[in-house]
Amino acid sequence: MISRRGILGGVGAAALMTQINPEFLISSAYAQTGKPIIFLSAENITGNWDPTAHTTLSQKNIEAYVMGYLSRAPMRPENPDETNMELAESITLLDRYRLEIKLRPGVSFHDGEPFSAKDVKATFEYGAQPDRPAQWYPGPTDTFEVTTPDDLTVIVDTTKGGYSASLFIFLASYLPIMSAKDVAEGPNGSLSQRLNGTGPFRFVEQRGNDTVLEAFSGYFKGAPKVSGVTYSFVGDGTTRILSMLNGQASIIERLEPEQIDTLTGKPGITLSKMISVENKYLWFRCSKPPFDNPLIRKAACHAIDRSIIYEVLGESGSPSSNFISPIKFGYIDLENYPEYDPEECQRLLAEAGYPGGEGLPELEYITSVGFYPKTKEYGEVITALLQEQGFPVTLNVMEVAAWNENLYDRPGGGPGHMVDCGWSTGSPEPDLVLRTHFHSSSKRITGLVDPDIDALLDKERSAASLDERRDIIQKELTPMLADRAPALSLFTSVLVHAMDSNLTGLFLYPDGAIDASAATFG
Amino acid sequence: MFLVNFLIRRLAQGAVIVLLVSFLIFTLLRVVPGDPVRLIVGGMAPDALVEQIAEEMGLRDPIPVQFFRYMSGVVQGDMGQSFIRPASGAAVGGASFDDNTRSERANVLDLIADTAPYTLQLAVLAMVFALVIALPIGIYGGLKPGKWPDRFALYIGSLLISLPNFWLGIVLALVVSVNLGWLPAIGYQGFSYTILPAIVLAVEIAPFLIRTLTVSVAQNMGESYISVAAIRGISHRRIVMAHALKNSSVPLLNLLGVQFSMLLGGVLVVEFIFDYPGLGLLTINAVLQRDFPLIQGIAIVTSAAFVMINIVVDLIATTIDPRLDY
Repeated sequence: MISRRGILGGVGAAALMTQINPEFLISSAYAQTGKPIIFLSAENITGNWDPTAHTTLSQKNIEAYVMGYLSRAPMRPENPDETNMELAESITLLDRYRLEIKLRPGVSFHDGEPFSAKDVKATFEYGAQPDRPAQWYPGPTDTFEVTTPDDLTVIVDTTKGGYSASLFIFLASYLPIMSAKDVAEGPNGSLSQRLNGTGPFRFVEQRGNDTVLEAFSGYFKGAPKVSGVTYSFVGDGTTRILSMLNGQASIIERLEPEQIDTLTGKPGITLSKMISVENKYLWFRCSKPPFDNPLIRKAACHAIDRSIIYEVLGESGSPSSNFISPIKFGYIDLENYPEYDPEECQRLLAEAGYPGGEGLPELEYITSVGFYPKTKEYGEVITALLQEQGFPVTLNVMEVAAWNENLYDRPGGGPGHMVDCGWSTGSPEPDLVLRTHFHSSSKRITGLVDPDIDALLDKERSAASLDERRDIIQKELTPMLADRAPALSLFTSVLVHAMDSNLTGLFLYPDGAIDASAATFG
Repeated sequence: MFLVNFLIRRLAQGAVIVLLVSFLIFTLLRVVPGDPVRLIVGGMAPDALVEQIAEEMGLRDPIPVQFFRYMSGVVQGDMGQSFIRPASGAAVGGASFDDNTRSERANVLDLIADTAPYTLQLAVLAMVFALVIALPIGIYGGLKPGKWPDRFALYIGSLLISLPNFWLGIVLALVVSVNLGWLPAIGYQGFSYTILPAIVLAVEIAPFLIRTLTVSVAQNMGESYISVAAIRGISHRRIVMAHALKNSSVPLLNLLGVQFSMLLGGVLVVEFIFDYPGLGLLTINAVLQRDFPLIQGIAIVTSAAFVMINIVVDLIATTIDPRLDY
């Protein structure tokens, strides 16, 4: 029965409906035309924007949008040594200890300061200080001298350090150039608060997990065509791929092998796959038993059949037989690289006094989950292969924070006996891997102290020319590393990005950095 | 007078609960593996520096000492600063060798205040959706005990409770957002981003509401006052709407209070899948990064919210049914 109350209620409800804006409640997932590039990152950033205060890959990738570099290294397999000039017009080795850098005129920082030689000098001298966490330089500040004969010329003199100035050539494509004015304020100043560079995009703000960049109209190569870049941390791989599929993301990274299959052939999505600068390693704790014995390390290497690991990885890994990526300076497929050889494994174990693995202590193999693809899966494969040869191995799978805390060497030897970890440095410079991990002054994960390896690392660093350096790396250093096996490089990572097919003009570097200065939404 | 006594008693009990929960979480955080100082300074920093910074941060003091120091700040409204997040609130990690700029870390209370409204919005919308699903099914099932509406209510409840929330979230995002393009799914750029996550949560809690309503309505409809009301000439519609439902609402209210509280904790998976910037996502990132002050702060706020919601629910229940004595 209809009542007055019912009629009044119905009229009121009808009137209310006309006031509701459906756009407030519902909006189409695709109503986002004219947007900036939306990049979804798998890794979070640090809280400090100072480029010398971190070693985080995602933050280095943000720097690649904002900062300028003296040169850039495309690092393609067909020409890994190629460098393209950017802030520098030329980089010339004057003699063994002196490097001359001629700078490009007419460039300015995002804050309006003109770029000149003093900025390069300030960057080098600040970045090489021994208290900086990112230790990329061949030696501390007091081992080299930087002079600026004029505003567009820089001379780096490494006589004091005794190493070749050519070590700065590859670093030139890796070190973002900071403003001398910012550097003068020190680590507590504006360096830590925001990025200020000469790149195509200007840092606007950090909004929660979004790093907001806008196109810099004063970019010396011409203003970018896209309005900006929003670099967002999204930790879950499934979430990233859903964002790609529903059009909310322009680019996503770190695809799992199964996700590559899902996206292949999808209309509107383009995949980019490239050999990365990152190798994945099985690091041995070389400062404590039993892996302080090179015979046992080599025996473990011969127990591992890497072809099975490649099957597990699918498109996420690429075979390599060296301790550096194929796109790094000095790579060669080593003839003596340890391959799967159970008989040799048993022979070495017997020679070491542990026939069939008898007498070996319980071994802990630490790996992570949730960061690199398939670490748990191939960790199980490696564990089974080692156990097959008599190594009493237990696999310990940790989430990333706990793994990070157990990763590095410490006095008495780091936790566990073997650790899985990758190492990625976006430059052809091999010492960013080799010296960092295998020289006794650094030995970050292995704890290795080997005078012979130290001597060869010092020798190649002091080489008079790049050709001489290459020879030492290929014929002496890396073969010795293969013989002493402080670690086993399992494979080279393959960097896979998925992109909106309408987004063209991007250039991707093999550490994940992207040049979007010429990018457009077609 | 009753109200004052009730509030004093229940707030005192709540304070004890929050204190116990805080101490438990505080202790657990400090005994599980994963040193936050190592995460702060990064892997390339020497061990000596890790210890130095840990000493400066008071992380090597005995746990009761640390707890006392922490609670002294909390009672003054200071939940401390995040170990890791800067003032912008970004989720950070990696080698942020950063004791020099530690004073610029985000306040825990600010981080929670920024994200709690999103979770609150999500929880309220989820509750609305759950009631929209549960009310008609549960009431109709309760009015027809033993018949198909009752069985339907049972089956639908069993089906919904069997759906894993992470699976449902991904499927909904795939179908509704990717294939149909009806709604956005990831992140938050407007109210519409709340809808899909709220549907997932609603599916999770609706079965409990359906079951409670069905049982409660059926039970009340069998009471003698319902039969008498019919004899008195009151219409069936009025009996149900004005009498049976009112008395059936007390157990529903209690359940709503519990479910709402659990929603605040249960949003972890849903917010992670949808990258929804609420308390759940904040909690997950804080746990992964061993951000002790932030985890601690969230635990205190969540347990306090749980206590307050239950106090409010009990108060409303006594209003509806004066026979209840809390």
